[in-house]
Amino acid sequence: MSEKSEIAIRADGLVKRFGAFTAVDGVSFDVERGTLFSLLGVNGAGKTTTIRLLTGLLRPDGGHAEICGYPAGSTDAARLIGLSPQETSTAGNLTVRENLIMTAKIYGFHDAAARADNIIGRLGMGEFAGRKSKHLSGGLRRRLSIGMGIVTEPKVLFLDEPTLGLDVIARRELWTFLEELKKSVTVVLTTHYMEEAEALSDKIAVMANGAVKASGTLAELRTVSGSAAGERLENVFLRLAEGGERR
Amino acid sequence: MKERMYRISAFAERVMLELLRDPLSYVFALGFPLVMLIVMTLLSESIPPEAEMTVFRIDNLAPAVYVFGLSFLMLFTALLVSKDRTEAFLVRLYISPMSRADFLLGYTIPVLILAVLQGSVTMATAFGIAAFTGDSLNPAGMAAVLAVSVPAALLFIGFGLLFGVLFSDKTAPPLSSVVISLSSFLGGMWMDLSHMSGVLVMLCDLLPFRHAVDAGRMALAMSFDGIGMHLAVVSAWTAAVYLLAIPAFRKKL
Ligand SMILES: Nc1ncnc2c1ncn2[C@@H]1O[C@H](COP(=O)(O)OP(=O)(O)O)[C@@H](O)[C@H]1O
Ligand SMILES: [Mg+2]
Repeated sequence: MSEKSEIAIRADGLVKRFGAFTAVDGVSFDVERGTLFSLLGVNGAGKTTTIRLLTGLLRPDGGHAEICGYPAGSTDAARLIGLSPQETSTAGNLTVRENLIMTAKIYGFHDAAARADNIIGRLGMGEFAGRKSKHLSGGLRRRLSIGMGIVTEPKVLFLDEPTLGLDVIARRELWTFLEELKKSVTVVLTTHYMEEAEALSDKIAVMANGAVKASGTLAELRTVSGSAAGERLENVFLRLAEGGERR
Repeated sequence: MKERMYRISAFAERVMLELLRDPLSYVFALGFPLVMLIVMTLLSESIPPEAEMTVFRIDNLAPAVYVFGLSFLMLFTALLVSKDRTEAFLVRLYISPMSRADFLLGYTIPVLILAVLQGSVTMATAFGIAAFTGDSLNPAGMAAVLAVSVPAALLFIGFGLLFGVLFSDKTAPPLSSVVISLSSFLGGMWMDLSHMSGVLVMLCDLLPFRHAVDAGRMALAMSFDGIGMHLAVVSAWTAAVYLLAIPAFRKKL
């Protein structure tokens, strides 16, 4: 696959309106290849809508976005991205293995079974490979959903609230997996858990009311917000999101 | 082209598995027409011959029950699609290299196979009943029913796709039952429309359902004169429904 750019994702002035309501209001950021980027914000901040614009699910009303140099929503970009949406998004009556095989085949891979088994191994889901996804626990189903996002070997992986509804143990397991994963894939994740963004991210964008209030490394965010060195992200966030209260 | 087929069949396989692993498929798609044929035949035993009610005669009944059964496939399709939408499985398809036409085909083909299976069960049951009641059904005619009912099967699948993508899995079933009732009452399934006239019959003529039933009945009798008009009306509706479904799949996330 050709790679035209060292920047994996470029969002440039993205705007999305639903009727009179502006859900995404001029969002810009760059994500470098091989890093993990977090979109942090309260519910309704515009994280999911931003992901939908970047994955080509929605067309922006303004601005534009690129994936590895290709316009978001183009077929070239589609082949480079993987997604684990906020919702379940697995086929309930199919087993873990069948879900992975189907996904790989839809992307045209002929070694789908081998890919599926590889992912099952990496996800540590061997004992559940033959279980229907509707019978999986929330944590395991989320893991499968991420597996379906990476079985196609994307360059860029979008994870929308990957730890939503998971218990502490499942969340920590997923963190470990993401730590490993980000060595090979550029990851964008959305979350409203501060400690998650703090633990995993190379860079963080703080979103409120559809806009990016600040973005950069945690150290940079501390500086921008006038926080002390070593300040927890939670306090930094509260300072940055000020005025951007929940709608 | 070959690559495209590979993707479509991967998705079609998933839809097929999803259907086959759902007990509802067996109950409604296969069991229902069987039970219905038997019950209707038993009922018609109690109608005196002087009444000249021919709609419940097995050769009229079997094609009607088949078209009625097809309308349940609409419900399955609608439920599957609306669940795929609310659980964001559709989102995976949208961002994949598959085109909308590809995954619409992927939904359609397995349900169409189920439709033919359903038709075969219906015809086989009818054949058995005919042997009991002393009527006889032409096997060639029975095969012809399956063939001429393909547009009708696609019509109901298309309605299912449309309802599924536009409405939630709470709203789609009642809407589907409206179409099921319409098809049953305005399709001349359980009453002879040929001796009736008026606004209602004009409506029946405009809608595709009676044409689907009539085409089936003509095919079973192996009298194909004028069947083209019936098939044309059904096909026109089918095309219209699919033409509506395609943009609907683009709009709705
Ligand atoms: N399809 C839509 N139609 C109307 N409003 C929407 C739609 N999608 C999202 N919104 C609104 O846009 C805002 C941002 O939503 P979203 O991007 O889902 O936020 P987040 O993912 O950060 O919780 C919310 O107020 C939401 O209600
Ligand atoms: Mg969200």
